[in-house]
Amino acid sequence: MVMRLWKKAVKMSLRERKTFTVFVLMYTVLIFLTSFSLEMAISAEIQTRGLGNTMFLVALIASIFLTLLYAWLIVRRNRIILATLKCIGWSSGNVTSLILGQIFFTTLTGLLLTVETLFHYMAIVGYLQAEFAPTALVINLPIVTLIPVVATVGIFVAVQLVGYFGARGRITKVRPMLALKRVGE
Amino acid sequence: MPVARDTMIEVIDVNKEYRRAGAIIRALVDINLTIKSGDFVIIQGPTGCGKSTLLNVMSGLDLPDSGKIIFDGENIARATEDRLSKLRRQKVGFVFQDYNLIKTLTAIENIEALLWPTVLSSKEIENRAIAALRDVGMLERKDHFPVEMSGGEKQSVALARAIVSKPRVVFGDEVSGNLDPESESQILNLLKKINEEYETTMIVVTHRESVAKYGNKIVRMSKGAIESIK
Repeated sequence: MVMRLWKKAVKMSLRERKTFTVFVLMYTVLIFLTSFSLEMAISAEIQTRGLGNTMFLVALIASIFLTLLYAWLIVRRNRIILATLKCIGWSSGNVTSLILGQIFFTTLTGLLLTVETLFHYMAIVGYLQAEFAPTALVINLPIVTLIPVVATVGIFVAVQLVGYFGARGRITKVRPMLALKRVGE
Repeated sequence: MPVARDTMIEVIDVNKEYRRAGAIIRALVDINLTIKSGDFVIIQGPTGCGKSTLLNVMSGLDLPDSGKIIFDGENIARATEDRLSKLRRQKVGFVFQDYNLIKTLTAIENIEALLWPTVLSSKEIENRAIAALRDVGMLERKDHFPVEMSGGEKQSVALARAIVSKPRVVFGDEVSGNLDPESESQILNLLKKINEEYETTMIVVTHRESVAKYGNKIVRMSKGAIESIK
């Protein structure tokens, strides 16, 4: 049953084209920056570690903020629909599964897009370094290795938990009566 | 010889108050009402008379401050939210003034959505949704999105969603409030047809006098109390 709700969440996300595209792109940039800063933080070059740590912290806070913003936006924009779903018999847990499915799918798409982008980036950097080795500028282009990418995936999964609690709290507060609007008559 | 019908909903000494800006509003005052299975009840009254509050407490969307709501033999006045969710899924259908369809879902998906959190197979859910769409004459619009439909068509789809789980009671909240006279008549005739064919109890809240002719029981409310029952 949860799987069915998640499948429907994917379909609904894809149909909300504008919101989905904007948030996927934002996630992609953030995930890329997180991987990049992690690479700098763990690299052997001491002079880049401080900058890497700062960048990593900024990217982490930004990703938590973005996840919460997305959860808030989805719940806020769809309050009447969520209330309607509760009216017709969905539990808060069912509604949460649908919303989380949308958040997870958006993040996952961002992750896949980042990995794809990194592959191309690495291929281009590898090619440029092989072809134009004497050029210092090209040699100094940073490389993102596998470990920071895997670590970033782990971090973003953990960040989703923050989104989960944020969304669940807001969804529980949506009262089914809201669907009928004129409460108190 | 008339057939004896079961009591579907019994409202006993129900009171409900709201607090607004420090003032106490008595939304329901000592309400007593019995609705039989298969009744078509129209609840009328001016704005602020308590008719929507009565609909909310009878359908398990809100709890009364005191009194009992016996719904199909079960007192739901103190039921938990989980219990009320289950009751609404199994025994209640809703039709809203603003249709409340999900704009990113097609007509058939909007109807199926009610059954997504159940153990029914996807095929069974689809079959039930098709049957409900056929009942309201909207089968040919099954793949259309709400934005591609008129008000009357959206309300027909909303009605199909309300009946897809074969509920005992359908609650309508100003179902024709946003419709032109022709669409209003079409929707109310559909409600009447479903009421007669499936013996589904209909409870419709409205401020429109023209709707009264469809009901077999007219409840008039004023200032939170029942003024008359005909």
